[in-house]
Amino acid sequence: MAAFENLADKIAMHEFGDSALMLSVRDDDPAVRRGVIADVRSILLPRLPYGARDAVAGLESLLVEFDPLVVAPRQLAQVLELIINVHQHDAGGGGTAPQQFLIPVDFRREFAPDLDDVASELGLTPAQVIEAFTGSSLRINLLAAAMAPMMDGVQFPAPVSRCAIPRTDVAAGSIMVAGLNAIIQPFPGPTGWKVIGRTPLRICDIAEQPATSYTAGDNVRFMALEDGQWPDLEGQFLRSTKVETP
Amino acid sequence: MKRLVTLDVAEAGWLSTYQDLGRTNAEAMGVPSGGAADQHSAAVGNILVGNPRTGACIEIMGGRFSFTPSNDILIAVTGTPAELTIGGCTAPLWTPTRVPAGAKVTIARATEGVRSYLCIAGAIHTAHFMGSCAPDARMGFAQKLSAGDQISVLTANSGYSHPYFDNMLFRLPVPIPTYGGGIWTVDVVDGPEMNATPGIRELMTSSLYTVGGRSDHVGLRLDGPVLHPEGLGEITSHGVPVGAIEIPHSDELIILGRYRTLTAGYPIVAFATTAAQSMLGQAGPGRRITFNWVAAADAVRHLRYREHELNVLEDAVHSAFTAAGLPLSESASPL
Repeated sequence: MAAFENLADKIAMHEFGDSALMLSVRDDDPAVRRGVIADVRSILLPRLPYGARDAVAGLESLLVEFDPLVVAPRQLAQVLELIINVHQHDAGGGGTAPQQFLIPVDFRREFAPDLDDVASELGLTPAQVIEAFTGSSLRINLLAAAMAPMMDGVQFPAPVSRCAIPRTDVAAGSIMVAGLNAIIQPFPGPTGWKVIGRTPLRICDIAEQPATSYTAGDNVRFMALEDGQWPDLEGQFLRSTKVETP
Repeated sequence: MKRLVTLDVAEAGWLSTYQDLGRTNAEAMGVPSGGAADQHSAAVGNILVGNPRTGACIEIMGGRFSFTPSNDILIAVTGTPAELTIGGCTAPLWTPTRVPAGAKVTIARATEGVRSYLCIAGAIHTAHFMGSCAPDARMGFAQKLSAGDQISVLTANSGYSHPYFDNMLFRLPVPIPTYGGGIWTVDVVDGPEMNATPGIRELMTSSLYTVGGRSDHVGLRLDGPVLHPEGLGEITSHGVPVGAIEIPHSDELIILGRYRTLTAGYPIVAFATTAAQSMLGQAGPGRRITFNWVAAADAVRHLRYREHELNVLEDAVHSAFTAAGLPLSESASPL
């Protein structure tokens, strides 16, 4: 019989204040940490137990917030371990098939202030950067601040650095990269990521129910917008192109 | 029978918004819980008028807020010490108070703290996002009140008067915090980077910190002595709870508030206890603060005592309102 390994054995849980537990992965390799925590996230987020109030996803960690009047931290840690182990074979699958999104991007210079910078860092031309980016299949890892879709899978030859000085006001719809990750700015605001384009679509709208049509686990591809298409698409709410049949 | 009452807002203060205790199950999708900065005052105010704690209220920060109701209403104003007048007469805070139709209510001259909570018997009609009316300005959900706005309240409170006393007199066990004009002591527990910052605990418990002018609902920025951790390298950005006390690259402390950015990579040397966070919601620029380390078990014990006080008040309000024939909101008990 093959050795049976419990997924929860790889997870360290520490109290983080009087009402949160920090879950991290015991491994020296960041790639392993990211992979394992992605599994744990997909197991726990749909199954947060009684007493847990919310969770905050990090790239290598998961913060589980709880009501300390309802559950003690050690008790919650035990329940989380049980859930992780019982559902370890469901990791990544979730319950629903991932959706597919095709997002048009305008790579015009005025929308892509860091494109030249990214190109010279990678030793490519700007056109080659766009080609690599639109040729990438990305997966939404988690929803970051203000429901921003945080994605991995950018097919650049090397990771991209962050801005030395963060920008204070980046427009909604901006397509940004750092490392081999990409993210879309849902609302105007600051960022330290490199801005390489902009989509005319509205990716998050609080008047919609739910406010985004994407969720963690969905797949994303980007396509270059053709001249003159921007006005037709501007402000339209992003919806999935099709549901993948596994 | 319920009816719709309107409150005409004449003055809106510096920043007044619809507010409640915030969201649950929203942070996993990147939306901070948000909610009243002083959760205790918001909860007590709603209990005092017979509402569920989680009901909508108005959070008023700074300046002068005034309104006139179209019908008789029952209100409670909690939070910072301030001047409350109804029809020109001074009225008490932290107590259920009758406002006759057409009488102007003014909340002004906040001292010591920075936020007042206006709670009104009944359900305030306002927009919701992810199950809460708490604003999220970053996502375009401002919920801000301006002069000339109308607040609508659906209430079963149909007006009443007493033959001898104009106001009803209640003797309720209200847990009113003592703010005081001096130094506020904030209870904290250990943070993950405390041990990598030798001497920080001794420094923070023996020093005075001053709340800076760049503080807001995202975080309080404190001027005062700090130490930076040693040999940590870069910390991978991770989720941060409300109350986390960070040391950024500059020489200051940041205590994260309910509208924090959900992930950060600054060293965290301590966490303000949940029980201490309501007081922090009243700390404005210039406020002097010091820190007191407590064990995690004591932090929870303190919170449990606060909860007990709220339960006692809920019971007392329930008895008093039932005896006086005043309506209670159907879902006044949690869950």
